[in-house]
Amino acid sequence: MNRIQNHPILDSNEDRQIVKFTFDGKGLVGYENEMVSSALIANGVKEFSIHQKNDMPQGIFCANGQCSKCTLIIDGISQKSCITPLKNGMKIETLQRIPQLPIDDSPLKKSEKIELKCDVLVVGGGPSGLNSAIELAKLNYSVILIDDKNELGGKLVLQTHKFFGSIKDCYAGTRGIDIAKKLEDKIRKYDNVKIFSNSSVVGIFKDQKVGVFQNNKNYLTISFDGIIISAGAREKSLVFPGNNLSGVYGAGAFQTLVNRDLIHSSDKIFIVGSGNVGLIAGYHALQAGIKVAGICDILSDVSGYKVHADKIKRMGIPIYLNHTVLSANGNKKLERVTITKVDEKFRPILETAKTFEVDTLLIAVGLNPVDEFYNMAKKFNFKVVKAGDAKEIAEASSAMFGGKIAGLEMAKILGNDIEINEEYFEKANVLKSHPGEIYPIESPKLTNEFQPNFFCNQEIPCNPCVSVCPHNSIQLDKKIGNILDVPKFSGKCSACTMCVTICPGLAITLAKKVDDNSAEVILPFEFIMKYSEGEKIPLTDINGNILENGEIIKIKYLKKKKIYLITVKTTLENGNKIAGIRVQDDEVTKPLEKPKYEYYPDDAIVCQCEMVTVKEIIEYIKKHEVRDVNQLKNIRVGMGACGGKTCHSLLPRIFKMVGVDWKDVEKGTDRPLNMEVPMGAIVNEE
Amino acid sequence: MKIYDILIIGAGSVGVPLSYYLAKKGKKVAVIEKNSSVGRGQNRAAIGGMRATHSDPAKIKIGLETLKIMREMKGKFGFDVDWVEGGYFFPIYTKKDEEKFKKVLKIQKSYKLNIDWISKEKIKQITPGINDTNLRGGIYSPNDGSASPLKTADAFFMLAKKNNVDFYFNEEVVKSEISENEIKKIFTNKNEYKSDIVIDCSGGDAKEVGKIFNLDLPIFPESHEAGITEPVERFFEPMIVDMRPEQDSANYYFYQNKEGQIVFCITPNPNIPGKDCDNTSIFLPQVIKRMINLYPRLRNIRVRRTWRGLYPMTPDGFPIIGYTKEMKNLFLAVGMCGQGFMLGPGLGKILSEVIADKTQKHDDILNELSLYRKFDSEEMFK
Repeated sequence: MNRIQNHPILDSNEDRQIVKFTFDGKGLVGYENEMVSSALIANGVKEFSIHQKNDMPQGIFCANGQCSKCTLIIDGISQKSCITPLKNGMKIETLQRIPQLPIDDSPLKKSEKIELKCDVLVVGGGPSGLNSAIELAKLNYSVILIDDKNELGGKLVLQTHKFFGSIKDCYAGTRGIDIAKKLEDKIRKYDNVKIFSNSSVVGIFKDQKVGVFQNNKNYLTISFDGIIISAGAREKSLVFPGNNLSGVYGAGAFQTLVNRDLIHSSDKIFIVGSGNVGLIAGYHALQAGIKVAGICDILSDVSGYKVHADKIKRMGIPIYLNHTVLSANGNKKLERVTITKVDEKFRPILETAKTFEVDTLLIAVGLNPVDEFYNMAKKFNFKVVKAGDAKEIAEASSAMFGGKIAGLEMAKILGNDIEINEEYFEKANVLKSHPGEIYPIESPKLTNEFQPNFFCNQEIPCNPCVSVCPHNSIQLDKKIGNILDVPKFSGKCSACTMCVTICPGLAITLAKKVDDNSAEVILPFEFIMKYSEGEKIPLTDINGNILENGEIIKIKYLKKKKIYLITVKTTLENGNKIAGIRVQDDEVTKPLEKPKYEYYPDDAIVCQCEMVTVKEIIEYIKKHEVRDVNQLKNIRVGMGACGGKTCHSLLPRIFKMVGVDWKDVEKGTDRPLNMEVPMGAIVNEE
Repeated sequence: MKIYDILIIGAGSVGVPLSYYLAKKGKKVAVIEKNSSVGRGQNRAAIGGMRATHSDPAKIKIGLETLKIMREMKGKFGFDVDWVEGGYFFPIYTKKDEEKFKKVLKIQKSYKLNIDWISKEKIKQITPGINDTNLRGGIYSPNDGSASPLKTADAFFMLAKKNNVDFYFNEEVVKSEISENEIKKIFTNKNEYKSDIVIDCSGGDAKEVGKIFNLDLPIFPESHEAGITEPVERFFEPMIVDMRPEQDSANYYFYQNKEGQIVFCITPNPNIPGKDCDNTSIFLPQVIKRMINLYPRLRNIRVRRTWRGLYPMTPDGFPIIGYTKEMKNLFLAVGMCGQGFMLGPGLGKILSEVIADKTQKHDDILNELSLYRKFDSEEMFK
């Protein structure tokens, strides 16, 4: 079974009910109510449907109910397996091309309209949506919160790492999964907030109502006075040959499989994109016992926080900058990824190709706001506010603050005479700041007393270390004058390790001089413990260069914080430079001796639903003088289940390749439904 | 100043085929379109049905011409526009309706339509699983069919371009210069045009465009919503038109296109006048309840997308075709009443003969659909 039995942060769900089901006639077991796609991947099934256009097996892609790649025939009906809970006795079959409608000719049992009303409808129960709903609830508005997942918290529930920001404003230093629980507890206390989980808004209509698809079987319409769009973000797609192979998918889908469902989805992955999402996915993989061959980014700098990047470099994941994915190859599923350096015009330099044998390639090249409902509500002149990633892609810390503001702004729009504290706006701004200046690392001179050593030398909005120090010995170096500043130590340290364990970047050690030759360093460790005291382990500097093998003199586990503190004995020379432990073997990250790839750039897929290639689109644009995205519907671009959500953001580049400026191109129109809904559900037959 | 033999206003269901047929007859033709590509007015909103099944001779004649063209689209013209000759089927439930439609059948047959009454048994063959409670039989016209409006518009666009038609997109006609009962010039927001003949194919905007020529055309757009599902394996052939009115809606109709998707539409009651094309929450529950009632198997198919388009209606439900008395070089091809897509190709061919060849063989059509008729008859197959 491909299940994660041991995870350093997440509890395995062994107490769940085991159920039996069949897949293409073969008997399998899974957990009741886990998503069918996860149960199948746990059983080693990674190919779901066979695409009608090119007969290619389709693997998981969004794990989020948005695309249709994981569609299967479940009890005779074609359904997206990533949003269908597993039940005992389910008969599941591969979908071969297009499905046959089951022959159920019994008359319509009943048809019912379910109509609800509220003051404010909040679309999306992530960090911003929850906070906006809480603010409105406090002001006594009746609120309906719609969220498409079983658990509230949005992407927080996928995050095993601790968050940045400040403790006071946004739970900095707390793990995402725990923040989600705190916010959920908070919102559940309000009687005037009605929460619909497992429910998706599928359309916003001119008559000031939304349509909601609930629990895969019902359809509600809800009218509202105001609406807050906090629907989060969707992952950007990337065009390269082989991007439609089973095994190529988004970092978000990966986190869903690994961190939500505890599925050992892969043996070895490669990641494209060095933003925080890509970096943290690498970290999550290692925590789950999945090997990471590397991360590449076409840019010359890491786009995420430096502390994240440094952390994973220390753990043994190489980051290839100025590199792009040349092609993904394999026999009907991903087997190899080849990357190359790019020249100044971002063209691949084939001579620099490196091939890695991996079974999964994660796409983490950025996010786009899910703001189509906002745009539509705006067009209809509804009272609407957007928040979180739907407004602007940023960290969850900023989203939480932005959510509060959005809730208060909505109250104002509805006529409530409240003042929004100016400070809120400033804080929200700071929290969404992009990483700033990088300062040289100053290695402190070690003394006989432990003192914190910071490997945090880039301006990012984060300061929990300052807040937890019982002696107020950690202060921010006042260069900007807000939490972007980097921390500095001066004063007393009682080696309480609070700063070490709370640091989201795992960028603080405690170090002291033992004698003229040796030092002791205390390092945080968030993996399954595989070491024992007395063992020698490879220790690295901030950038992941191995400095020496140091002996473990003590391992301490902080159960509540789910973190180990490992005390190592090192040379005095390195004591103030050691920042972490190499956990992944060099062998894992080695490319093949000779690159091995097939490179047909024209075959790259743009529209994943309908399998339309770059070549087909380019030829069509030329031949039909296309200046309107709608014309591409003739070759079915955007006509699939996802409605262009994946491919639309790729089109500007494709038009540019043909010499057409995107601003001269008429854009497509978003129309409901945002997600497919069975006819029987729309009339609430069940 | 741009000079042409013929200027067509509107690159839609009617204007694009017409431009092709005129250009093929050697005319120098330009098409002015306010949107950025062909078919972005109401062609984009058409659900794709194409029939010659009408109750009047003019539209039957045009419809038969359309069907002939569509059948040849692939073989003769080389364009696969997803044409499926699945027929149209009107289920009948009451004795009154049976009598009414059988009466029309006689007229339809006299105009050489392949159409007949079919039994319950035959109905079960062409629409397996249909709810046959109270079903008496139906009217079936096997040579009608469906095609992709998008692909059809694009096919005629490509054909027109090949025959040197000039298209001016993102241009809106704003003004005309008129003297001695003649349009001398046409001004858009970008250019100035002169042509011997101006053809108004402005679809949903015909009322506004008419005003540019000092005409108050009796065209009143109303809006209808439509939807499309995921594709499933083909399980029924014809367009099903259920004519039974209900409290909040008149007829509704749906078919399975070549991709396997069900495309559906309903006529609201009362009708919704105006040009608003934004979706409402009313449409889906309203039409789907009726669809599952009629065809229970549909309960498991997933709705993918919905949209709303305009039916540019005339008082009697018939189009307005022909030269105007007020402006001797203005030809109208407007007020298609939601049938522009199915009339377009046939109308294009016929009108090219009227306009370029100056033939009189289609005078019957022009008389029936004249702007100067009384508008007092009623279309049964709206």
